[in-house]
Amino acid sequence: MNESLIKAYLNLHAVFQNLEDLVKFDEPMAQLIRDWDLTVEFVVRNGPSAFVEFKNGVCRHGPTAHDNPTVRLYFTSAGHLNRMFDGKATPIPLKGFLRLGFLKREFAQLTDRLTYYLRPELGKPDDESYVKLNTILTLQTALYAVKVLGMLEPTSKKIAAHIPAGALQVEVLPAGPCLHLVFDKGGISVAKGPAKQPMAKMAFKNLQVANALLTGKMDGFLAVANGDVVLQGQLPMVDNLNLILDRVPRYLA
Amino acid sequence: MKIYQYDKSAALFRRAAKVIPCGIYGHFSPTPCVPVSAYPFFSERTEGAKFWDVDGNEFVDYMCAYGPMVLGYHHPVVDEAYQAQMKLADSNSVASPKMVELAEFMVDMIPVADWAFFAKNGADVTNYAAMIARAATGRNKIIAIAGGYHGTTPWMQAAGHHGTIDDDLTHIRRIPWNDFAALERVVAEHPNDVAGFIASPYHHPIFVDNEMPAEGYWQKVQQFLKKNGIVFIIDDVRCGFRLHMGGSNELFGFKPDLICFCKAIANGYPISALVGTESLKNAAAKVFHTGSFWYSAGPMAAALACLQELKRIDGPKILADQGKKLLAGMVEISKAHGYHLQVSGAPSMPYLRITDDASLMLHQQWCAECTRRGAYLTSHHNWFVSTAHSDEDIQRTLEIADDAFKAVKQAR
Repeated sequence: MNESLIKAYLNLHAVFQNLEDLVKFDEPMAQLIRDWDLTVEFVVRNGPSAFVEFKNGVCRHGPTAHDNPTVRLYFTSAGHLNRMFDGKATPIPLKGFLRLGFLKREFAQLTDRLTYYLRPELGKPDDESYVKLNTILTLQTALYAVKVLGMLEPTSKKIAAHIPAGALQVEVLPAGPCLHLVFDKGGISVAKGPAKQPMAKMAFKNLQVANALLTGKMDGFLAVANGDVVLQGQLPMVDNLNLILDRVPRYLA
Repeated sequence: MKIYQYDKSAALFRRAAKVIPCGIYGHFSPTPCVPVSAYPFFSERTEGAKFWDVDGNEFVDYMCAYGPMVLGYHHPVVDEAYQAQMKLADSNSVASPKMVELAEFMVDMIPVADWAFFAKNGADVTNYAAMIARAATGRNKIIAIAGGYHGTTPWMQAAGHHGTIDDDLTHIRRIPWNDFAALERVVAEHPNDVAGFIASPYHHPIFVDNEMPAEGYWQKVQQFLKKNGIVFIIDDVRCGFRLHMGGSNELFGFKPDLICFCKAIANGYPISALVGTESLKNAAAKVFHTGSFWYSAGPMAAALACLQELKRIDGPKILADQGKKLLAGMVEISKAHGYHLQVSGAPSMPYLRITDDASLMLHQQWCAECTRRGAYLTSHHNWFVSTAHSDEDIQRTLEIADDAFKAVKQAR
């Protein structure tokens, strides 16, 4: 699988799922989508599909095609989709022509806000609430990206093959976020919330520590030795997770 | 029982972190110690089977420097031989007669060995062995066991590790332990291109139970490799001289072409060795492989004294006997507390795991409670027994193990 296609999967399945929490935690975006009732589907030729559904003030992301979306946006290639994420291309609408104005205005507002929270150089790294949401969304992106890379990228697939079966829980103390990945004979799933029976745990002492580690400002080995990150259980799961995590920036700078 | 604190260790680590990557790197890194707060990071003094950390805490040491310490720290015979040689010469401009004496002793003691070559670390000789296999056969591929560890050079690391590239593994094939059919399959897939097969005498990865060779496995492997002209390399770095003075293969009844030794060879002094058969001596001579300190005479004198002493006292038997005492006691204590302690590997270097929790969290908790009471042991790696571990040390350890189980039960 080529780099562009992997990046397209990452954009649709790892980055876009953050819209769910963006509208949950960011008040202006919660207000923006409060009355939306529509589903936007993204389809890449010979590549991934995904949809985001807005209803009753809630956003739901799905990493698949949708049976009956309000708007269907088509991309001729993975590169086409990636260029749109870089703000350098526009999609081809196949359905929902009357909503094109909405896409250009309101929906673009939402995606711009997501970019703002995922790129600290555009945001307010000294603002506590910014750091909080930046950390939540970055952590989620990273772990959803592990699933994509572990299933699709040749080197990450080899790494994932060494990961013992079971659930690996990653959480930020004391109040979250908390996510978990489940590895099972080459299959990987990721979900928000704690695992029922984790085989391994990685817990960040607080949001600041999580942020510093996720943005590469802190040495992970030192963080463990200092007690800023607590590891438990099947540590080979954590070691291999970190190897895949370190490959994410190759695709999502 | 006193619960140890590590304030000075932690303070020293903070200093280390400023000037050393990771603070403490490699296999001494605190990372696999769970929780890190239960473990000392720096030791100040060693003696016999014990070390004292920088906070003054005393530990019965079951990691034995991760293997090198086999006769006990500061063993008088080894230390005297080392000091005597240091008074004469260590690093020099020409080789030391001690090198010849040591090689002669090893060739005499190890049935497979017709020659010996010396370096510093295990990876020096596992690399050298692979180079000899390629030089001797003119082939490319090296077959190793999945999960087997042969050092940190790129060709022996798993895919995706930092500092390695995918091409490093182009000619490496990994097969499951004890799977003779997999060996046959890989060799068939690469006709006339497999140079060598490398494995430890039994499978001792970390974090999982260790596995002994299946009945007849090594004999079939030996015969098959010989038939196919593939060099048979045993990495005896961890087990060497703990199981058998003639090389661990003697215990399991087979003869490899090359054996890599390190760890216990000199009771802590830095030296490793590769020994091999006459048929590979010419290829070994042609491979250029050397290092700045590979001719240091002090460690050679220490190795000679250590091997002589281990042979004189039948070290492997003492290690096995003391290991069995320790393990029998531990299993009994765990049972009394309602836990099942699984023991695998050789008694002289056992891997233990509490099976009541597959995640290892319970086992990590128990090992941590043992350590903070004075029995230094890790949860992820096999332990090591030395000939210096006395019955009193073992009794003390069992008392600690008992108290640690009580603490674990209370916490749960």
